[in-house]
Amino acid sequence: MIVAFSIWLFTILFSIGFGTYLCYRIEKSGVKRWGASGKLFK
Amino acid sequence: MTWYIAVFGFYMVFLIWSCLQSLKNVESMSDFTTGGHRMGLWIGVGTSVATWVSVASVMGVPGYLYSSGVAAVIGWVAGWFFGTALIPLVAYKVRRPKTPARTFPEYVQMRYEPFKKSSHLRTLVAALMLIGYFVFTHLQVVGFGIVFSTITGIDYKIAIFVFLLFLLFTSIGGFWSVAVTDTVNTVLIVLGVVLGAGAVLAATGGLENIYHTLSTTTSPTIEGGESLSSGVLLSPVGTFGLGALFSIFISNSMGAAVSPHWVTRMLAPKSVKVAIMQMVLSVVVLIAIFLPLIVIGLGAKTLIPSIPAGQTTDYIMPIVIMEYAHPLVGALTLVALCAAAVSTANSMLLHCGTSLYNDIYKNIFPDKKISENTERKQLRYCIFALGILAVISAINPPVLLAMGFTYVYGGFGAAFFFVVYLGLYWKRMNRLGAYANIVLGSIVYVAAKVMGATNPFIIALAVAFVGVIIAVFATKKPPVEAYEPYFEVDISPSTKKVIARIQNSGMDQEDYSKPTAVGEFQNRTNR
Repeated sequence: MIVAFSIWLFTILFSIGFGTYLCYRIEKSGVKRWGASGKLFK
Repeated sequence: MTWYIAVFGFYMVFLIWSCLQSLKNVESMSDFTTGGHRMGLWIGVGTSVATWVSVASVMGVPGYLYSSGVAAVIGWVAGWFFGTALIPLVAYKVRRPKTPARTFPEYVQMRYEPFKKSSHLRTLVAALMLIGYFVFTHLQVVGFGIVFSTITGIDYKIAIFVFLLFLLFTSIGGFWSVAVTDTVNTVLIVLGVVLGAGAVLAATGGLENIYHTLSTTTSPTIEGGESLSSGVLLSPVGTFGLGALFSIFISNSMGAAVSPHWVTRMLAPKSVKVAIMQMVLSVVVLIAIFLPLIVIGLGAKTLIPSIPAGQTTDYIMPIVIMEYAHPLVGALTLVALCAAAVSTANSMLLHCGTSLYNDIYKNIFPDKKISENTERKQLRYCIFALGILAVISAINPPVLLAMGFTYVYGGFGAAFFFVVYLGLYWKRMNRLGAYANIVLGSIVYVAAKVMGATNPFIIALAVAFVGVIIAVFATKKPPVEAYEPYFEVDISPSTKKVIARIQNSGMDQEDYSKPTAVGEFQNRTNR
């Protein structure tokens, strides 16, 4: 049971972490059309 | 029964209103298929969650939790969450162009056959999509039929025809109708499953009782069936075995991430970042849906040790809710199940219809002059006709809901994995490579499945990968117009012309019949 829920937790954390990294890459690109706004989550 | 009818009545009135509103808003084919690439964050979260949460999740997953235990959390829940984590990787590239593709087959043509007036690759992709999404729609109809027949007592074979009414009002409005109803459906689904889980927790006496049952029960899943081994429902591999569970996980994650409907969903938001954030926030909302579903699926074993003979595990959710929840809670939960079926089916039907009409019919007959108004009308007829076929096909359902989804995701993953990821991240990926992936991937997947291989997805993916590499290096590099929109901020005029022609913007065909060796426009200042 612990194994099953740990794997699920990992996928949740990976999803949030990876999405945040991609948002950071967009901010770094500075391309407004892609959504760069100066703030990571805006 | 009064509660059930009242809640259903309100839901139906909302669907009709939403459809009428959407019919006023639709302006172009781009609006109809991807909402004109201007979808905001919150409506995007709503539509993504509602598309994720289908009958396979709200009925199939509790069914597998009930029969196989916590292993279903790894196979389906973690599998789909991992898939959701990979989808932003698609969004990061596919939404970059100023004028993105409107559908997945259009992306395939833009990326692999940009100079073909009639793209065979696009037709092939659309044909595979048509098959896959027809199966998905069929599964939603089955799920809806199970819920509706359980609530009303009407025979399942008659109950599925009620689904046509829902489809009529949600599908003909196009993307915005689907997106708006999806958002409300998401709220309904969250509310319904949370209340349903509360009812199950109260009836079982709490998590400790559920855990105790799971660790000790030997009751067969179906009355009269084989007894379970004690403790198997708490084992990470459950009743599946490691190989089969890995196969389910990998098909659900890798396959879902390249499924055409998710690629298309990533084309709809107003920017790349909105597309990515939409999926991250969707994960948070999905936790609020899947946790209650896990409680319901596992708790059901305490309340109903075995399902009556003649029914499948897909029935466990409606049976438990009808029997143990207050009528109002039951009505809300079961309307949530119907909402899940409707929200996924209308989206899948939209994909089916646009594949058949836009990517097969119009691609085979590119010279037919039809007004946008007529196009939309014909596309609606197409969608409704497919809906009728899906209902007829559901009269005798052949597979369990969740496993049906896994098969289709596996097929999509095998056929499109490299077409999507290598197409977006490797400039050298070319037309022959795409053909190799689609043909080898789909044929090997079906063959391995028929021959009973434990992991057909991995076998198909490995064979397709070898085929793609050989095909790519044995043939010429792709023209710059094929990959430029996904790798550069600004694109050359020749690429702009190619995109405009593919999207039927009335450009002169003679102007761009030849590919250029390099992009003509390298200006990076206009950001």
